[in-house]
Amino acid sequence: MAKRQIDLLLIEPDRVFASSINGYLCENGYNVRHAYDAQAALVAADEARPDMVVCELQLVSHSGIEFLYEFRSYPDWRQVPVVIFSLVPPIEFASSGLGLSRDLAISCYLYKSATTMSMLLRELNFLSERA
Amino acid sequence: MKQPPHQLAMSEQLLLAIAEQIKLPLLQISSQAELALLRKTTDDDYGAAQIRVLATNALQLVDAYSLSLRLDHQFNSELAPETASVASILYDASSQLKDYAKLYNVQLELNIGGKFGPVLVHKKGLQSAIVGLASAFIEALPTQQHPNNRTIVQLATHRCRYGIVAGVYADIPGLNNETLRRGRKLYGNSRQPLVDVSHTGAAGIFIADAIFRAMRLRLQVSRHHRLYGLGVVLHPSSQMMLV
Repeated sequence: MAKRQIDLLLIEPDRVFASSINGYLCENGYNVRHAYDAQAALVAADEARPDMVVCELQLVSHSGIEFLYEFRSYPDWRQVPVVIFSLVPPIEFASSGLGLSRDLAISCYLYKSATTMSMLLRELNFLSERA
Repeated sequence: MKQPPHQLAMSEQLLLAIAEQIKLPLLQISSQAELALLRKTTDDDYGAAQIRVLATNALQLVDAYSLSLRLDHQFNSELAPETASVASILYDASSQLKDYAKLYNVQLELNIGGKFGPVLVHKKGLQSAIVGLASAFIEALPTQQHPNNRTIVQLATHRCRYGIVAGVYADIPGLNNETLRRGRKLYGNSRQPLVDVSHTGAAGIFIADAIFRAMRLRLQVSRHHRLYGLGVVLHPSSQMMLV
């Protein structure tokens, strides 16, 4: 049976890095839509109805956290798995003390400096199988 | 009178040591990628070229950081200002930047028309600062909203009331005096001191700021042909004017 293609929304501000992730995930059966910032990501989510979101926290103007609060405020998007793939070390995120992970229903937090492309793919495959 | 060099703080010493150390792996990455391209030992020429450009740019940034510390602490007399042409410095900077701009799909332009005469400046310092500023702009530009799709970075020079301005300009409306002032305050305490401009720490901008400060110059918000930017006012070389 053919595997269903996963629509993934990638929110990544760096053009070169986004292109690398995009290429690799497309090669592995994901249909990737890319947005540089929070505003563009909301528009893209509205148009593409993603099955999964991969999000950087450090964005221009509005942060990834702001995007996620907005994203999760819509009932349609409350169940969509979100993976944080960020340059912000997890310890800084956890120490914010707001229980963000729980509030925003983050499925997984990957620190860019310690995550290879294949690790990212493994996590996404795992989440898509579970969904 | 020449001031005696002063000691680096412990944290600066450590960072300088790391900066010097990290140059070697960056150089190795860059040269390995270049060799793979030259020997045609890779199937992915585009990927190897990308690696070379990114490593080279990172190397330039690290180098600029080391230079900012050296200038600030006057390690040696080679760092004294000299008579130079702004146009030729901007031209050299653009040569360093052209591959990086291409990688980010940004059009790099040089606007050095007009006769401005020589200025008194530390050449390497100005060039490193311009490369740092432009690199930060190039990285930031794709994330900006461009109604006219103007992803242009311009290295430009023009005359102003106080002297000759050398700067980097782009279509970044969020770049203004208030943003820069707030950024300088947040620098060192925030991950994104210039949050409306860049998704990164904008290290290139703050390294340029440090280099200019060490050269007794001040980085300022400036406009050039409807583009927003950062520039520095340079003083004409009076020595050459006599000639």
